[in-house]
Amino acid sequence: MLFVVLSPEGLDAALWTLLLYLLLTIVAPPIFYLVSVLIAPKKPSRVKRMLFESGQTPIPVRTTPFPIEYFPYVIIYIAYAVFAVIAFIVVLDMLRAGESLVRGLIILAAITAGSIYASTQLPTLKQRLEKGAAS
Amino acid sequence: MIDPIQPFVQMYNSLPPMLQELVRFLYSEPFIKAAIFPGALFSTLLGMFAVWFERKLFARISLRIGPLHVGKVAGILQLIADAIKFLSKERIIPEGVNRPLFVLMPCLALVLSLLLYAFLPFGAGWIIYPSEIGLLLFFLVAALSPVPIVLAGYASRSKYPFIGMSRIALQLFGYEVPLFLALTGVVLSTRTLNLEKIVEAQVRVPLAVAQVIGFVVFMITLLAETERLPFDIPTAEGEIVFGWQTEYSGVYFLMIQLAMFEKVLAFCFLGAVLYLGGWLGPPIPGLPETLSAPFWIILKALILFTLVALLRGVYPRLTIEKVLDLGWKYLIPLAFVNLIITAGTSLVAGALTITF
Repeated sequence: MLFVVLSPEGLDAALWTLLLYLLLTIVAPPIFYLVSVLIAPKKPSRVKRMLFESGQTPIPVRTTPFPIEYFPYVIIYIAYAVFAVIAFIVVLDMLRAGESLVRGLIILAAITAGSIYASTQLPTLKQRLEKGAAS
Repeated sequence: MIDPIQPFVQMYNSLPPMLQELVRFLYSEPFIKAAIFPGALFSTLLGMFAVWFERKLFARISLRIGPLHVGKVAGILQLIADAIKFLSKERIIPEGVNRPLFVLMPCLALVLSLLLYAFLPFGAGWIIYPSEIGLLLFFLVAALSPVPIVLAGYASRSKYPFIGMSRIALQLFGYEVPLFLALTGVVLSTRTLNLEKIVEAQVRVPLAVAQVIGFVVFMITLLAETERLPFDIPTAEGEIVFGWQTEYSGVYFLMIQLAMFEKVLAFCFLGAVLYLGGWLGPPIPGLPETLSAPFWIILKALILFTLVALLRGVYPRLTIEKVLDLGWKYLIPLAFVNLIITAGTSLVAGALTITF
C-alpha cells in the first residue's frame, strides 16, 4: 500500500525522480528555518529592527530612486532579446531543414553586422536619446 | 564461501511489509538519484566543499592560511561552525520591509539554485531528469533565478538594497542575451538540446577548442550571472555595504549564500558539460565506467570553479559602466560572431548532412 504511494506506476520514472528532487529542494528551506526557530534566541528590540543606514537613524525616502542614466540599456535590451530569439529560431531551423542553411547564414550575418554597428554607436546613444527627447 | 549479502536479505525478509516497502523505496533508483547522487546530498556537500575550497584558495592568493583551527585538518569543520552560527542568530525582520516577500525570497532563491542540478548529467544515465530539451530547461530555471534576488532587494525597502537591486537588474539584462547566444552556438554545432547528447558529440574535440570565442563569452557571462568578482557590483561590500543582501541576517543570509554558491557550481558543471566534454576522459584503471564518469565531470567542474575563485583573488571590481559596456558592446557581437563562425564552418565542412 505504502509502496503504491512511494513509487507510482503510471508515472514516468524520470518525472517521478524530478518530483522527488523538487520535493526535497522545497523541504530544505523550512528545515533551515525550523532549526533556526529551535536554537536562535528571541530578544527583539527596536534598535535591532531599524533599517541599516551605516549607523545613522534611517531617513525615510518617499520616491524610489531608479538610476535613469542607464535607461537606454533597457531599450536596447528589448531589441536584443528579439534578436536572440530570432537567432535561436534560425539555428533550430538550420538544424531541421537543410535548404534554409544559406538563408539562415545570411540572417545571422545581418544580425551580427547590426550588433557590431550598434556597439560602435552605443557611446553616443544616450546623448541622441536626450536630444530626441528635448526636440 | 558465505554470501555477504545473505544476512541483509534475511533481515529484509524478517521486516514487516510496511517497512519492506520503505526499504524498497529507499533503494529505488528515483530516490537514490533525487536524494543522494546527483541530488540533494551531493549538491549540498559539494556546495560546502566549494565554500571551503574557495576560502583556502583565496587565503593562499593573499598569502594567508585560511580556516585552520576548527576541525583540526585544514579547518574542514569551519563551515559547520559557520552554519551553526548563522542558524543560531536571531531572526531579525527590519521595520517597514515587505514581510512575506522578505522571508520567502531567500527560500525561493535556494530552491531555484538547487533545481538547476535536476537537469545536469553527471555521467551516462546519472541525471535526475533526462530531457530532450535539457539545455533549455536549465536556461529557463537559470533565467528565473534573478527574480528572487530583485524581489528581495525590493522587499527590503532600504537604500543599499535598492541600489544593489537596480544594479543587478541592469547587469542581468546585459548578460542574459550573450549567455543565450553562446548556448545557441553549442546547439548549432552539436545539433541537439539534450545535455547527454551534447557530451557525446564532443568525443573527438571538446567544444572549448572548437568554439573558443563561445567558451570565453560563456565564462564571462558565468561570472556576471552569478555575481562573482569582478562582476560583484550588486553586493559590492565596502561600497554599498552588502548590496541587496544588506538587510538579511541569520538563517535568511545562510540560505542566500548557499543559493549563490550552488548557482556558481551549477554553472561550472554546465560549462564542463557544454565545453569541456563532460564526463568523457581517459579510463582510470581499477575504476568502473559508472564511477570514473562522475569523477571526470566533477574534476572538470572544479577546474572551472578554481578559475572563478582565482579571478576573485586577482581582479578588482569593475564599475557599472564598464560592466554594461562589456556586456552590450563586446560580448553580444562576439557571441554573434561565434554563432556565425560555427554556422560557416559547419556549412563548409558539410558536418550538417544536407544536400543543396
